[in-house]
Amino acid sequence: MTTSAKDLRSPFSRRWNSVRAREARLAWILILPTALIVFGLVVFPAIFSIWISFHQVGLRNLNDVFHAPFVGLENYRRVLNDFAFKFQGLQSWGAAVTSVVYSFSATILTLIIGLIASLLLNQPFRARGLARAIFLFPYVAPIVSVAFVWRWILDPRPSGVLNDILVKLGAIQLPKAYLATRGLALLLVIVFEAWRYFPFAMLMILARLQAVDKLLYEAAEVDGANVRHKFWYVTLPELRYVLGAVFLLRLIWTFNKFDDIFLLTGGGFGTNVLPVLTYQFSFKSFDFGKGAANAMILLVIMTMFLAVYVTTVMRNVEE
Amino acid sequence: MTENSSGRPAGDERLSLIGHLARWINVPRFILALTLTFFLTGILFPFYWMVSSSSKTYAEIGSREPVYVPSALRLDAYKELFDPSHPSFQRFGLNIMNSVKVAIPTAIIAVILSTLGAYAVARLRFRGKGAMLNGILIVYLFPGILLIIPLFAMVSQIGARLGFDVQDNLPVLILTYLAQTLPVALYMLANYFRTIPPEIEQAGLIDGCSRMDVIWRITLPLAIPALVSIAIYTFMIAWNEFLYALVFLNSRDLFTMPIKINTIFNDPSPRPHVVMAASTIMTVPVVTLFLALERFLEQGLVAGGVKG
Repeated sequence: MTTSAKDLRSPFSRRWNSVRAREARLAWILILPTALIVFGLVVFPAIFSIWISFHQVGLRNLNDVFHAPFVGLENYRRVLNDFAFKFQGLQSWGAAVTSVVYSFSATILTLIIGLIASLLLNQPFRARGLARAIFLFPYVAPIVSVAFVWRWILDPRPSGVLNDILVKLGAIQLPKAYLATRGLALLLVIVFEAWRYFPFAMLMILARLQAVDKLLYEAAEVDGANVRHKFWYVTLPELRYVLGAVFLLRLIWTFNKFDDIFLLTGGGFGTNVLPVLTYQFSFKSFDFGKGAANAMILLVIMTMFLAVYVTTVMRNVEE
Repeated sequence: MTENSSGRPAGDERLSLIGHLARWINVPRFILALTLTFFLTGILFPFYWMVSSSSKTYAEIGSREPVYVPSALRLDAYKELFDPSHPSFQRFGLNIMNSVKVAIPTAIIAVILSTLGAYAVARLRFRGKGAMLNGILIVYLFPGILLIIPLFAMVSQIGARLGFDVQDNLPVLILTYLAQTLPVALYMLANYFRTIPPEIEQAGLIDGCSRMDVIWRITLPLAIPALVSIAIYTFMIAWNEFLYALVFLNSRDLFTMPIKINTIFNDPSPRPHVVMAASTIMTVPVVTLFLALERFLEQGLVAGGVKG
């Protein structure tokens, strides 16, 4: 018995003390703090969120969540039947449809403006470095500041800047309440989103643009291509992959975005999106189960985007 | 403005004056200048409006027509934020301190922990590395709003068990910001470490340094640019963050700047100049920091350092 234990121990301790094993142990020690924080505050809550979405959790039993009554799919049923969630014709889209429309159009607009900006900054001109830094301002400035400046510019009173300019130009007769008009509010939120996030697209595209082989343009010129030809047949194909990647990232982030719409409209006037609705369910009516169910639905839609994207767009890029 | 600045002839052939003019007022240049002006106006006007509105008087803010240029540099709005004798003194200094107390520890801890983790990922072999890196990418795409509900429930659960107030607690906020920023910081830093040739470190190991010595004396000094950019990104994220602070902070004395600005904005008597003054104070450090270190921060932006 003792001999066999010794025999067992020695290969074990040899393996335990081998360079490779020591290296792996050191690696885990180094990663442990990060892993603990991320597990405790991202992975565990994510799983816990699924659990909450099947239970009735309100403000009263929040201190004792683990004994919350199980309600099955009741939370999901209530979300799907909620007026704020479901599509009820063109007058009232509901958060699900609004979210999809908002994130797709904001992403596309962001990409177009980012592409124009990157083509612009790819031209040689003096003080280009400064211009490039300024172009990043909307992206690095705090969201609270820029959202409130926009609200102040779009102020519904005649003293609002946009109202003043448009009235003086004769474009409108009376001042408008931009962020409190159905349709217009959604449009402006999309424009704001593009204004704030185009620098991200711009930087990614610019990095790729600068890596395009100059010989391709020269070859195209020899073949008699003009500026437009060069853009369509050389630049765009070269950018295809980066455009796809930026589209996916921005689509997901826009879909998840809470701050922008919450600060601009509070989710009113046809701009209520799923993240804001999740917040309202959880922290306005304190129905955490319903909020969690709504968040899970958000996650499912997001995963669907991802799956469709990976199976169609990415495959085309590879070809 | 731009026409002038781009008026240098590119080639070395000599051009007559007319040739010169014809060369710089061509269609592409005109379009370039026009687009550039359009972009610069669109980007800078909101910032101008923020700063200029902050030095307007209440009368100028409330007048029937917008005041494009404030009559003088008035500090009314700033007095409301900082002057204790002002009737609606906002104690904004406290909020600035709260933001600093959250953002600086987040940045420092994130740099330390991500350095350790990134070194392991870049240099050491261990099982489960691939799975961990994939996990990081998933965290990168994960919606913050989904995590806020379980986190809130966990926090009140722990608060009830341990008997201390977990909700109005700045360290809890720091922890949640770390959870959001660490994965990406680790990923960026690991990529940077990979660009440092391992031979340099091996030389150190052969000379008898321990692993920790090697990290401290060789790898870290070489990675300073990456460390600085990670510190600044995590600082910026913690400084700008809104949702978690909104949910986790209830006491006015603990509000970080974004929540305070939101509160002033939603005050029944609207005072946009005060909101703009507070926004200016919050924006200026971030934008200045970025401008000063722009060259190597851009690398991080391309690598996806700032989520959102």
